Amino acid sequence: MTSGFSVQVEAVKASLYSRMAYRGDFFISISLTFIFEFITPLVTLLIYSNGSSFPGWTLYQVLLIQGVFMMSKGIAFMFFYGLVGNVLGGVQSGTFDMFLLRPRLVLFMAIATGFDSEELGKFIGGLILFIVALIHLPTPSFIQWIQFILLMITSLLVMFSFSLISSGVVFVWVGCSRVYEIFDSISSFGIYPRTIFSKGIQNIITFIVPIVMIGFFPASILLGKNINGVLFGVISSISFVLLSLCFWYWMLSKYTSAGC
Amino acid sequence: MQKNIKLKNALFVPKHAYGILKATAFATYKEWAAYRSHMAVSIFVGPMYFLIQVYIWKAVFSSRGTINGLTLKQMLSYYGIAAVINYIVFDFADWNLQMHIRTGSFITFMLRPMSHRFYALSQKVGHRMLGFWVEFLPIYLLFLFVFKIPLIPVHPIWAVLSLILSFLMSFLVNYCVGMTAFWLTKADGVRRMFSIMNSILAGAFIPLTFFPAILQKVFFFLPFQFITYVPISVMIGSYKLGGIEATIPQIVFVQALAVLLMFFISEIMWRLGIRKFTGVGA
Repeated sequence: MTSGFSVQVEAVKASLYSRMAYRGDFFISISLTFIFEFITPLVTLLIYSNGSSFPGWTLYQVLLIQGVFMMSKGIAFMFFYGLVGNVLGGVQSGTFDMFLLRPRLVLFMAIATGFDSEELGKFIGGLILFIVALIHLPTPSFIQWIQFILLMITSLLVMFSFSLISSGVVFVWVGCSRVYEIFDSISSFGIYPRTIFSKGIQNIITFIVPIVMIGFFPASILLGKNINGVLFGVISSISFVLLSLCFWYWMLSKYTSAGC
Repeated sequence: MQKNIKLKNALFVPKHAYGILKATAFATYKEWAAYRSHMAVSIFVGPMYFLIQVYIWKAVFSSRGTINGLTLKQMLSYYGIAAVINYIVFDFADWNLQMHIRTGSFITFMLRPMSHRFYALSQKVGHRMLGFWVEFLPIYLLFLFVFKIPLIPVHPIWAVLSLILSFLMSFLVNYCVGMTAFWLTKADGVRRMFSIMNSILAGAFIPLTFFPAILQKVFFFLPFQFITYVPISVMIGSYKLGGIEATIPQIVFVQALAVLLMFFISEIMWRLGIRKFTGVGA
């Protein structure tokens, strides 16, 4: 466990050192990631500034959901979504074999070496949005904060599942970088209040592919909103991770090396 | 050599332009057809994004009949048209060009008896021909018959003309972005910045009329609206931005002028940029 942690720390350090070789580009990239993530909140802001709204939701409540979603995405893309890039590039070039030869779990090494510091921009953007929204909303209680932290962990579990599924797919769908777009399109259901969707879709995004766990439920806890189905959502998220893990290893077994 | 390069690329239309376009487009088509399943991801992604827009706007319109003068049906038409237009005008000339400049492989294009810009445009034609039946056609039919979005243009001839101009505009803007690599070598930052600007200012995420009036006036003079917002307006049959109202022929004419201006900007950038290019070996 300790040595695993030190491997992770070394991978983060190596990633930062290599990225610092182009410092200017690094800070520009972080800033642009930060700006890009504000497109959805900008659309929300424009909807509300034109006198419209999502029924039952104020502007800052919606921004809070989007802020939580961005924070979760930022953490995930920084720490473990690099797995997708590692598998995608490794399988295409044949260098994925190197992960198989290292004296660590393949999955762990592929995650640890995929650390992406540029995604910090996503997290900072989400954090700023989160703070701005909270300033304009009633202060949550201590219990609500505890529940929020627990749900944020579940949110990261769902994000982890997505990284497992996306990276698992590219073992057989070689070189398909558009898996990111597939994730983006599916996860977009979690950027808005769940109540705007039909009952059928609400059930799918709560119990089958628990996208609402990423932003909607953690934010709803802080807002004191009705969170029907949260327990089933948590159970569904845990099941989703386990199934994703099985899927990843099944796909890994299908990997055929191209040599190095 | 330098003189030759200038001669080859300054406003140069090759003698056998059609033959070159056809051959390059066909080769690109064949090359990308090997990855058609990657392109076909759009058949899933496009409708998914659109489905979200349907729910967003149904919720927003639940308490109001019109927003900014648009009804729910018009709003969904806007997003439907925006989505399908993207499959016609999609471009990555910026990525290609900056990659060739950065790696030095651009030097091989200098030795060819044709303009690189024309070659890149021909590549885009081939790429989008494949995109036409793998992306555009299935999604067009899906929107038309499943989502019941009226995608038949009010003025078909003007719409086709506007789409061609939009196709050229997106290419020229991206080509200019790619050319910044002559000065910067690594143009990823500029590329991403333009991609963000294009996402917001072309009107793909939200109609430009939702922005404050002063910003709309600024947007009118930027090239981005001519890529998405103008062709959508032409297909819908009315154009309005920043208090400026124009008939369809008028706005298509303005779009044509904007494309011409962009062409000259790309020409100036080429002439200045090529002096900066250094390639070692090939």
